Amino acid sequence: MTPRPLWLSGWLYAWAVLLAVLAVGPAVWLVMIALQPAGTDLLSLDGWKKGLTLANFKGAWEQGQLAGPLLNSVLVTGSRAFLNVFLAALAAYPLARMQFRGRGLILVVILATMMIPEQVIVVPMFQTIVSMGLVDSLVAVVIPFSVSAFGIFMCRQAFMAIPPSLEEAARIDGANSWQVWWNVMVPLSAPTLATLALFSVIGAWSELLWPLVVLQSQEQYTLPVAVNQLLGDFATNVRLAYAGSVLALIPIIVLFLMSQRFLKPEMFGGAVKG
Amino acid sequence: MNSKLRQHVLTPYAFLGPSVVILGVFFLAAMVQVLYYSFTRYTAFDPPEWVGLDNYRRLLASDRFWICLLNTGAYLLVTPVLMALSLGAAMVIESGLKWAKGLRLVLFLPVVTPTIVAAVAWTAMLRQDDGLINAALRGIGLEGVGWLTERPWTLVSAMLVTLWKGFGFYMMIFLAGLMSVPKELKEAASLDGAGRLGVFRHVVLPALWPVLTLVFIVSSISALKVFEELYVTVKGTPIEHQTVVPLIYTTAFEKGEYGMASAIGITLFVIILAFSLVNLRLSQKREDA
Repeated sequence: MTPRPLWLSGWLYAWAVLLAVLAVGPAVWLVMIALQPAGTDLLSLDGWKKGLTLANFKGAWEQGQLAGPLLNSVLVTGSRAFLNVFLAALAAYPLARMQFRGRGLILVVILATMMIPEQVIVVPMFQTIVSMGLVDSLVAVVIPFSVSAFGIFMCRQAFMAIPPSLEEAARIDGANSWQVWWNVMVPLSAPTLATLALFSVIGAWSELLWPLVVLQSQEQYTLPVAVNQLLGDFATNVRLAYAGSVLALIPIIVLFLMSQRFLKPEMFGGAVKG
Repeated sequence: MNSKLRQHVLTPYAFLGPSVVILGVFFLAAMVQVLYYSFTRYTAFDPPEWVGLDNYRRLLASDRFWICLLNTGAYLLVTPVLMALSLGAAMVIESGLKWAKGLRLVLFLPVVTPTIVAAVAWTAMLRQDDGLINAALRGIGLEGVGWLTERPWTLVSAMLVTLWKGFGFYMMIFLAGLMSVPKELKEAASLDGAGRLGVFRHVVLPALWPVLTLVFIVSSISALKVFEELYVTVKGTPIEHQTVVPLIYTTAFEKGEYGMASAIGITLFVIILAFSLVNLRLSQKREDA
């Protein structure tokens, strides 16, 4: 194509800057409010002159008792990500490579669960957790979302792209199904599994509805539930609640920046076709 | 493949077992249960008792339900804006600017941000008296509005959060789509004398059609299911400012009316299903044509 005219380049850069400001602006503004001393008008930036303070963060951490929720969120997010990858990769193997009775039915059943929104079935889901005696436990937050149809199809797609000859070579060397799965399928689809883990982490760290339903005591709260509580408790000292929100944001942003190489558009294309 | 012969008959089921049990118990069985509950009077204090269509009858006669349903419908307005913004962002990145990769990363940050934090960040800017946005409006001589307290601004505020949190995700899907448009095709069209706009209209857009349909359906469904943005952004407003899922939550977990909440859930499910089927059918027709 002909080289891009100057006006078009300018236009593109202007949009790029605008989008970037839109993407980070709200969070930056939130941090700025949280960094200023209590009481002052939210719009005034006096703090910049008088000196910024971490007092709101300290207050949110101590008065909001965020250490427990932070640990709970790490546990819930970690186990959900691990289980999502592990269980989905297990389930995807026979669906990608084996012939067996009921294969079609199982595929349909898994696909059907994709059409059922969590929001619609939240009542019976809660009842099931009650009847299992798991109410108000972190296990209850993890179990229903420890595997997803989306994850299974994503892994199946990746497995189907692995040349069958590699699997056959391993079989000839005497490997059984489990060994093939662990030594061939899993390592060769590592980038997909890592992306799935990243998706699960982002989703689990953010989730509010389900933990709000099943968790009751403060000791079991995950960070979003604790922040929600903070918003009510500090309605008159919002800087504290805002600082608490920023504290919930920092770990996930750090983790994301460390693992961003798994964020490739191709993975979204694959997920879409899955 | 002889490898298949050497596997134990039960092996595939062992691989599938845990996933099928979890999805079966928590999703499939729950769907059957919610359907059953919707035909019962079932509260936090009483076990389910069959009442036929009673819940649905009461629902249809309830103003609160209709207002929430209407609000859910209005919430769909977020979809076209979301699509335009994410496709625009994808095109800016795909045009091969310097820093394109860095921009991609920055635009994905809102997706990573927990919804509640996104909602808090926007409420900070949308506060009536000391919010940045009203200050800006007053700066250009307009009146500030009650973003967090007045209809329809409460819905608009929640939609801003949905928009902000979501566009980076759909941008990645559009990027995958844009990257799969063959370069040769674009070059051929260009050599045939098509301008940039022509190439976009006659080559890129048709190739992107399936992705556009998909993003439309996916983002509309998630708009119909919205909860957290509203629950947090317009906290404390009456139910008339809310949509269907917050109504389910309030009915079930604040009032303890499980049967009624299930009936609302089933209604939402039917709407979502109908919406997806109609759109799929329409898009297939368009592809056939």
